[in-house]
Amino acid sequence: MSLLQRDREIIVQNEFVDHFDFAEVEEFVKGASKDLFISHKFKTHKGQTLVQPRGGFPTYEKMYTLYNEFKSVDVDVLPLTIDSHTRLNDYGSASKMLRLSEETETDMLNGYPLVNHGYKSTRKMITDFNTPVSLRHGTPDARLLVDMAIASGIFEIEGGPITYLLPYSKNFPLDKAFLYWKHVEKVCAKYSQLNEPINRESFGPLTATLVPPAITIVIQICEMLLSLEEGIKSFSVSFSQTGSLNQDVVTAKVIRAKAQKYAEKIGCGDATINLVYHQWMGAFPRDKNFSDSLITSSTLIAAMVGADKIITKTRAEAFGIPTKEDNAQAVAGVKYTLNMLKGIPSIVDEEEEENLSNQVDEIFEAIFNDDADTLWRKIFNSIKNGIIDVPYSPHIINNNEAITVRDPNSNIRFYERGKVPISDKSLAFERSKIKLGNSSNSLVNQIIKDIGVML
Amino acid sequence: MKVVTGVVGNDIHVVANRLIDISLKERGFEVFNLGVNTYLEEFLDAVVETNADILLISSLNGEAEGWCRDLLFLKEQYDMENVIFVIGGNLAVGEGTNDDIVPKYKEYGFDLVFHQIDLMEGLDALEEFVR
Repeated sequence: MSLLQRDREIIVQNEFVDHFDFAEVEEFVKGASKDLFISHKFKTHKGQTLVQPRGGFPTYEKMYTLYNEFKSVDVDVLPLTIDSHTRLNDYGSASKMLRLSEETETDMLNGYPLVNHGYKSTRKMITDFNTPVSLRHGTPDARLLVDMAIASGIFEIEGGPITYLLPYSKNFPLDKAFLYWKHVEKVCAKYSQLNEPINRESFGPLTATLVPPAITIVIQICEMLLSLEEGIKSFSVSFSQTGSLNQDVVTAKVIRAKAQKYAEKIGCGDATINLVYHQWMGAFPRDKNFSDSLITSSTLIAAMVGADKIITKTRAEAFGIPTKEDNAQAVAGVKYTLNMLKGIPSIVDEEEEENLSNQVDEIFEAIFNDDADTLWRKIFNSIKNGIIDVPYSPHIINNNEAITVRDPNSNIRFYERGKVPISDKSLAFERSKIKLGNSSNSLVNQIIKDIGVML
Repeated sequence: MKVVTGVVGNDIHVVANRLIDISLKERGFEVFNLGVNTYLEEFLDAVVETNADILLISSLNGEAEGWCRDLLFLKEQYDMENVIFVIGGNLAVGEGTNDDIVPKYKEYGFDLVFHQIDLMEGLDALEEFVR
């Protein structure tokens, strides 16, 4: 038995898992309908932007009703968002809260506790709808969750060791996260050989707070490389609306080019790389008319950049978890908007593309020059020493020296680079665009204004 | 001057924490930022370790009161006579007026208390106090 398989058999020996039949799951994946694989849908819907909402409820019944609602508006990809207890591997609390949710008909969890439901019933729901499902979670140790997900018929797994840790955790050890996710990649790669490939997706929004595109792109490509080197054949890089249409267009162009370049550099140029665009992930306006406008503008940008998938928000975003009706209405609205944007030309800004492209290469040069022997250690060291610095990460390992603000056109710019190794020339370009007042408070006041740019 | 700062308790309001960090540095303080989700003992240990002049605790989700009741007791176990204790943010769960809140926190052992005060205003007052 392989080491990987031995680990998996130990991991499913969990008091909250009744019985996990690896042989049966393998047969299921082999014979599963192609319609469940988003990697297949990407292939057969080239040139289209697939629409995926967000959503997850604790009970089977509410989840089923939510999916029904989404199917009524012709959704392309269904979400399965996991509750926060499960994300922290606290299946005991999830189980208790699930029972309470079932008994009282109030939602006591902010998502679907997949491990507690088990794969047999969840698979029944997913095969009923026969639509690709994407697993949305935020789990540093997703080893059990991902085996459960694939056994349920969920063939897209979001996340990664960096993007699911730095925005969410203060103390979880980053090196452990890398090793746990390595296990996940191996499991996904193994199943990818049986039918259509399992698609892995990275979480580009990060903290959704003034993250400069160069950092987003570098982290997206790092997680992509860590997947591809384990044998993943279908990967989605992603980013969220920056707040500047021009910066989004430039970011999309550079992330595509660089993802291909670095995939080839490690000998994995044969993998399919998709681009996913998140509608605005920062604080939403409380005026629902403004929310509608924001959502429409981001749909327009997704069409302009030719995103392979868009992940939607709703007009109720400022008020908490949206109802299934709000959520379905958002999907219908985005599909309506996309339909009138077919064939929309994009814009080109060569100067900005060159600037961003240089920054990405400058950071990667430093990562690859780290003297560690494996890629994950090079990336780990680069985060530890501030080469990769995510603004507003709560994690103790994050360097927190880079400072960003918006320029007058709302582009996110480096004000201080900290230890992020962009060149003096790149930094000078960034700083030349910034216009700050002269008082000693103007930097902080600018940041406060920039974070709330959509309010 | 050296300042130890951070957000107390199971509170993960990282944006406010970073803004305090940046503002203090802009004003010339040497900052030791323990980040979000920090316990009272960790703050006091850091003050000893860095020989700080000021401890600036922030709290945004209303948890501060639960955590800071023990401050006087903890202070006795360290030599903290010359350290200035400051707390700011949303210091009550739900509604609370400054007339109730400020004296209460002063009793807990804080020299300066800023409840729902603008960050710049609070830091101006701190600078005034240390001058």
